[in-house]
Amino acid sequence: MAPQRLVILGVAESDAHAVANRLIAMHLSQAGFEVVNLGTCTPLADFAAALRRHPTAEAVLIGSLNGHAYADLRDLPALRAEGELRCPVVVGGNLAVGVDRSADARRRLLELGVDRVLTDAAELVPLLDSLRPKVAV
Amino acid sequence: MSAPTTADFPMTVSPATAAALPPWPEVVSWLSAPERRHAVDVLRAARRPFVQPRCGVGEHARMLASLRTLDQAGPGLLSVTIDSHTRLGHFGTAARVLRERPADLNGYPLLAHGWERGRELAAAAGVPLEVRHGSPEARDLFACTLASGITSFEGGGIGYNLPYCKDVPLRDSLESWREVDTACGELAAAGVVVDRELFGTLTGVLMPPSISLACAFAEARLAADAGVRCVSIAYPQSGEVYQDTAALRAIPALAGRYLPAHVEVHPVLHEFMGVFPRCPGCARSLILLGALTARLGGAAKVINKTVHEASGIPSAEVNADGIRCAQLGLSPLLDFVELDEGLLAEECGWLRREVTELLDPVLDAADPLPRIVSAFARGTLDVPFSASVHAKSVVVPGRDARGAIRYRDFGALPFSPAVRRHNDACARRPQPAGDLLTTLSADINHFAAGRSCERCAATPTGRS
Repeated sequence: MAPQRLVILGVAESDAHAVANRLIAMHLSQAGFEVVNLGTCTPLADFAAALRRHPTAEAVLIGSLNGHAYADLRDLPALRAEGELRCPVVVGGNLAVGVDRSADARRRLLELGVDRVLTDAAELVPLLDSLRPKVAV
Repeated sequence: MSAPTTADFPMTVSPATAAALPPWPEVVSWLSAPERRHAVDVLRAARRPFVQPRCGVGEHARMLASLRTLDQAGPGLLSVTIDSHTRLGHFGTAARVLRERPADLNGYPLLAHGWERGRELAAAAGVPLEVRHGSPEARDLFACTLASGITSFEGGGIGYNLPYCKDVPLRDSLESWREVDTACGELAAAGVVVDRELFGTLTGVLMPPSISLACAFAEARLAADAGVRCVSIAYPQSGEVYQDTAALRAIPALAGRYLPAHVEVHPVLHEFMGVFPRCPGCARSLILLGALTARLGGAAKVINKTVHEASGIPSAEVNADGIRCAQLGLSPLLDFVELDEGLLAEECGWLRREVTELLDPVLDAADPLPRIVSAFARGTLDVPFSASVHAKSVVVPGRDARGAIRYRDFGALPFSPAVRRHNDACARRPQPAGDLLTTLSADINHFAAGRSCERCAATPTGRS
């Protein structure tokens, strides 16, 4: 039997939106993943600590609905420089304050070192499948 | 806590906040000035429900401009919605983002701006302000709110903890809010009545009305015990008009059971808090339905939504349009709309029974605070989809055939067999094909997919 695929899931540090987080956790479990769900209001350092505990994780998935994604993730380059969070980091949700700023928000997150930015949870499993060869080698 | 100005504020505030605030007697005399108009005056004068928008942007000048734009639309009260960093007590982060990129803030960082600017906000609008936030521990923010001349303050130790943060113990949040409420008691003795609004909306999605009202009344009872004289009990629109009207009408009856007679109580309806339809037509219909429901239920005010609800924080203009749309639903032209009083009385009766089965065991104590804490620890009080680890969150809600919210799983709630049988009889309906996730998603997307135009239904989240 193939070893269980594992992902680390959580919501960004200043964000308490729990509903999408719960539904995505259910969705990933149904798709066959083991989900380490850190829940709401999770600092980036806690995602890094979870990845140390679960080094086989295929990705760290960070939800953000309150528009504060950039401020909540601004320590990503520093953590990566220390050797932390060296797996695909995927951010999804509503990523900027205001209605028409999502393209700008996406660009700034990618500049921080976020690997993929999603706005639809339905794209998540196909994305994890596409990232998989990279983590398998 | 030894800074000179902390001693005279009637609650614990951090030394940094205390150092920035004016002396307490100055605050009281500012609030007591005869020309000052408070939220309580507007609530008492309301003969029909009035509309209140949410409103919060990072920059001070933009906030002033937003309040002035919204004021033109004729709201009864205006809001100062606080950003998420400030809510969680991360005042340094809020101040940094304000310096670097204020447009990145999802609300107004009142502590970073300071109380002098708060007074400018209060002076900018023709109506009183309320501070709306989501802080599990709000003493610093409340002190700054009072110093700003604002006497309406939303939140409580349950409703602003369990939906808003991961790991603040309930006892800590309840005890910190008790200090806020005790300060309100001292102000009431000085002649200044603070409106304390309790956020029964909770996580805002598929909230069973009995959970909403039980949490709000648990907080209201603690507030009243601490000296609060005016509470607003906020309930989130489920979207099913009989259920919502019954819930609003249950509020005065429950107040009679759980609160002393000298506490004034104002029912509040939050327009639908779940996934909003994306097209302007469907969104406007839902906004209008919310306002009409508030009128039928006898609410004092409606917290309104906008046509941009599905896509993000609205501009001031779109927000003002939302106020005007809600006002259409409050129009006397629609006073001919009446509901079947028999069905309403039945719904209201069952709901009151559910709430009393949840609350009687908790509130039948000289100090209910420890019982509330242990009820959540055991799951005899619970909140679905809680952000916090301090609620069991094992209750699963669902919609019945009419769209009313019922219990799909009671968790550990201590309901009687009669209440369970009634709930299950209501909840019975043909289930959509698929698993719990599919069913829950369909219930969550009720207005974005099931009850809206074909265009909305095709992409309920708009993220195709």
